[in-house]
Amino acid sequence: MATRTVLLTVANLLIPVSILIFATGFFPYKPFMPGLAEYEELGWNRILGDDWQKPPAAPFDKVIFMVVDALRSDFVFGEESGMSFVQSLIRDGTALPFTAHATSPTITMPRVKAITTGSIPSFLDVILNFAESDTTSTLATQDTWLAQIKAKQFDNGKGKLVMYGDDTWLKLFPDFFDRADGTSSFFVSDFTEVDNNVTRHVPNELLNSDWNAMIMHYLGLDHIGHKAGPKSPNMIPKQKEMDNMVQSIYSAIENEDHLANTLFVLCGDHGMNEGGNHGGSSPGETSPALVFMSPKLSKVTQNTIKESPIKPSRGNEFEYYRMVEQSDIAPTLAGLLGFPVPRNNLGVFLTEFLGFWDETPNRVQLLYRNAKQMKKIVEATYTSLKFTDEVLETGEMGFECFSLNTHLTDGQNLACLWQRVVNAMGNNDEFEHIYKFMHEAQDTMSSTASNYDVSRLVFGTGLAILVCALSYLTLPSFRPITPAGIYYALTLVLYAALMFASSYVEEEHNFWYWATSGWYILLLLSNLRKEWYDKWFFHPAIMALVVHRVIRRWNQTGQKYAGADDIVNSGIFHGNNSFVLWALIGATYMDIMIRIARHVARSIATFDNLQNVQNAEIESTDHHRMIGTVAVVPLVGTAFVFKLAFTAKDAPELTAGITGGMMESVETLNIVGLAQMVFGGLALSGIWIAFAEWQRSKKRVATRQEGNGALAVAFFDLMALFLITQTKAQNIPLYLLFRLQFFFLRLLNLSPAAVTTTTLLLTQTSFFALGNSNAISSIDLSNSYNGISGYNITAVGALVFLSNWAGPVYWSLASILLLGSHGSTQRYIETSELHVADWVTKEREYLNELARKEEKGRESRRDGKEWGRHVALLTLPKFLFAMAWGVAWHLGVTVWLGGLAWWLGTW
Amino acid sequence: MATIINANATSKTPPSTAPPVEPLNNDAARLYTHIHPVLVLSLYAFSFSSLVADPASTLLNTLAPLAILQIAYVAVCLPPTGGTPTIRKQKPGEKRSRVPSKLENGLNGKIVPAFLSLLLTALAATPLLTAILVLFGAPVTTHHPHTLLCGAHVALLSTLPLVYVHGVNGETWRQVVALLLPIDEVYGGLIGTVVGAWLGAVPIPLDWDREWQKWPVTIVTGAYIGYAVGKLLGGTLLKGKKIMFD
Ligand SMILES: [Zn+2]
Ligand SMILES: [Zn+2]
Repeated sequence: MATRTVLLTVANLLIPVSILIFATGFFPYKPFMPGLAEYEELGWNRILGDDWQKPPAAPFDKVIFMVVDALRSDFVFGEESGMSFVQSLIRDGTALPFTAHATSPTITMPRVKAITTGSIPSFLDVILNFAESDTTSTLATQDTWLAQIKAKQFDNGKGKLVMYGDDTWLKLFPDFFDRADGTSSFFVSDFTEVDNNVTRHVPNELLNSDWNAMIMHYLGLDHIGHKAGPKSPNMIPKQKEMDNMVQSIYSAIENEDHLANTLFVLCGDHGMNEGGNHGGSSPGETSPALVFMSPKLSKVTQNTIKESPIKPSRGNEFEYYRMVEQSDIAPTLAGLLGFPVPRNNLGVFLTEFLGFWDETPNRVQLLYRNAKQMKKIVEATYTSLKFTDEVLETGEMGFECFSLNTHLTDGQNLACLWQRVVNAMGNNDEFEHIYKFMHEAQDTMSSTASNYDVSRLVFGTGLAILVCALSYLTLPSFRPITPAGIYYALTLVLYAALMFASSYVEEEHNFWYWATSGWYILLLLSNLRKEWYDKWFFHPAIMALVVHRVIRRWNQTGQKYAGADDIVNSGIFHGNNSFVLWALIGATYMDIMIRIARHVARSIATFDNLQNVQNAEIESTDHHRMIGTVAVVPLVGTAFVFKLAFTAKDAPELTAGITGGMMESVETLNIVGLAQMVFGGLALSGIWIAFAEWQRSKKRVATRQEGNGALAVAFFDLMALFLITQTKAQNIPLYLLFRLQFFFLRLLNLSPAAVTTTTLLLTQTSFFALGNSNAISSIDLSNSYNGISGYNITAVGALVFLSNWAGPVYWSLASILLLGSHGSTQRYIETSELHVADWVTKEREYLNELARKEEKGRESRRDGKEWGRHVALLTLPKFLFAMAWGVAWHLGVTVWLGGLAWWLGTW
Repeated sequence: MATIINANATSKTPPSTAPPVEPLNNDAARLYTHIHPVLVLSLYAFSFSSLVADPASTLLNTLAPLAILQIAYVAVCLPPTGGTPTIRKQKPGEKRSRVPSKLENGLNGKIVPAFLSLLLTALAATPLLTAILVLFGAPVTTHHPHTLLCGAHVALLSTLPLVYVHGVNGETWRQVVALLLPIDEVYGGLIGTVVGAWLGAVPIPLDWDREWQKWPVTIVTGAYIGYAVGKLLGGTLLKGKKIMFD
């Protein structure tokens, strides 16, 4: 027994360790160049003349950089676009349009990093995106075009920057801006305020001549997308609003002398999918628009496509004009404004703009500087290869460049391409070779496949296998074989197999919904065998299946049918119908209130029959029910009002049906204070009930009675109130449905093995039914600041996790009640209870082991999957989610919270 | 899902369950019981491309051929309700009693029960199976004819032969639902059809962008294949065994 415990403990501790080691090897290593780039000595003077290296005159000295969040290419270039002014500029040849490919993850912070540094941020930046306060993630010390402008000597002194809009920029570039006004995208229901807050500064700034770069970042269009998708009726008016903004800025550039040499860039940081969300790698998400505008551009647009609006290319419905990389923006700005290319840049100067320089040496110099900067990163990655500026013999290279027989590695290929650049210098065909090198380097360095730390991957996987081995050693005998056990095993095997299909990573919910339906039928059959039930169509298993059918339709999730109809978006909860939603929410709160009131009544009863200890466990709460309710109403009432006030700000369409004076007074309430009151009330109630139960347990010990786990039930009900506080209003009725399912499951008298299977299926089902998926875009941050006024990374992190994993937390606690039949009886308890409790403890061990086995299986499957799939970007987010499940879920909830609830139940 | 042991080995199970169904003891029955699944699968294979192109009307059009095939099967191969024909051992030299004319026998004994079971399949099993399909995630707001016809096909495959051999005896049907009946080719066909239809839902969410992934093609496919497999296994390997729980 003791060795088994030790083995289990070791196995459990090793799970997060192996995941973290695997993760450090999996997230690619990227060489990082510190410091600010400067114009450097290039050589080649003997061939190209002594002054070929003098930096050429820049055509622009100011840049207006207008980011419209989630501005997908078709919003600007398509036939249904509202941006007619931009399209007229394209036709005039004073605007150069592109589709700028954004790599996954398509969320704002990594995209801003890519735009400003020219590098390709890794998935680690996603984690940092959620941990925004982390100072290491700022770009203050990195080389960006903002830093370059700040360092450059313009006619009126060092460069000055101003910035209006999304405060991501202020977080990334602290103390960079002379004037700034940041807006946060806290409430996505805000379509206008966030944008007016940017626009109101623009007219004044256009009159100021002291800045060299003005950055604007509009969030409204992104919010419309998140709220109602790309086809929302608000979308075209918003595009028109943006177009008017472009028009007023462009006419200022035409008319104001001090703006004559201003380059105006309009771009999206990422696009959006058909559901209006982003984060993944679907074409809609990775294809934002990019437009350069200036009257001076007519010099370089003689031979470009000027048709607008235009149809997308046939292969990709979001590819308009030329598809370039988002990282190309940085070196292009460097060339056009006349400063060195940022050091970590992997972008390529856009060839269309070369026409600004009439003399060939200037053009060569521009490209050569860009290529040389990229070569340094390549060199730092492939340290064993030679990237010198001299022509090398095969012997010096160490391999044959031009042989057809040898297969070159990525690094060798780049070394050969660089040799060709060196060979071609001064021969008039250097453009072709330099571009070839740069594009190849861009591809190689942005595909991460070559940058794994394989030894760590092997080590992490080895540990995971060890964990599996350890836990199998500790497993009890598999006999007797039960249908529940077989179903459980089959579910795991099939799940593992399906995870190799990348589409089942995105559509994972379908698997769990499907397996759960089958499980309910199996429960029905096995129950009908034991005892025939004449009204079998109303059998609890069937009723649970009916409820399950409603639950799975509540939120449409996944990618294949993103944006398809579901209950939440069907309109039955929107606008004037929102009283339906609030009636359901009210019922959910009412149910919880009645339950908590019963616990409080029981706790009061603890203290009034001191002399009559024999009857301590007898139902004696009825005459305290009134006091209990009175005590609980303020808590649940506050929680309900908080939800109403929060929703009125976060999703006003869901409170539109609630009219009258109540809503007006609710809207003025301080939601941070309300949330703190709810959390505080929950803690107080918990402490009070625990204290009363402790008193009871002392009495029980004195009279050698066994408790019935009432404290675990109380903990569950208080936790439920906390979880719905952390849940979006439209999902709260789901907890009423969960409660119904719980009720039906209780009627089924499940065996411990069946409870294990049910728990696995329902934790997964509830995760997806609440609208989550394996896409980063589905992470909901709206409830992560409840009750927090400042920024507290631990608290925010915990709330993010709990609000996204609320369903699984609910079901893992519920299953402990299912397992132990806690609180099922308030009658006098027989002494035979004693050995029943023994039995329960044993079965609980079995359950825990099965749960661990499942985690292990999950992990080894994931590792296997990652090995097998060799980095498809699609699975990366899944890996992050697996990390969340593996570390936070397994340790935090299954072991810790579940253990706590169980322990409370044993009082 | 459940372990299967030999029914003969357990004396625990109450003897009240019906014995496994034996196909009729004549050459035509023995032959046709093997040809029948091939014909059913051919019908499916033959209509597959039009099923993918236009599921609803194809399912409607193949309903009648499938019903005819199933009726032919039960009429030729299976003993009708109530009469598992006791193979009377004839003493050598015993005089045969009058055998009813073939036509008379066929009409009364076979065709009538066959059409009764068809009627029951249409009126009871189809709505029930359609409801179960919906409970398992079939679309509620759209594709009504698709789901109903899919339910009809599943019903024809799974329940028609079972009604023919077991009639409407409540106790037997209780045993059918509770998986208590010994397995034979008819019961195996039912289990195979239902499990096959359930497994048929797995490929739908894959992003292969194939036409055949649309509703309810994969379900119907699973049902047909499951029927053939279940009937084959039930008639041979698993014959007479019982499904054991716990
Ligand atoms: Zn964004
Ligand atoms: Zn967004």
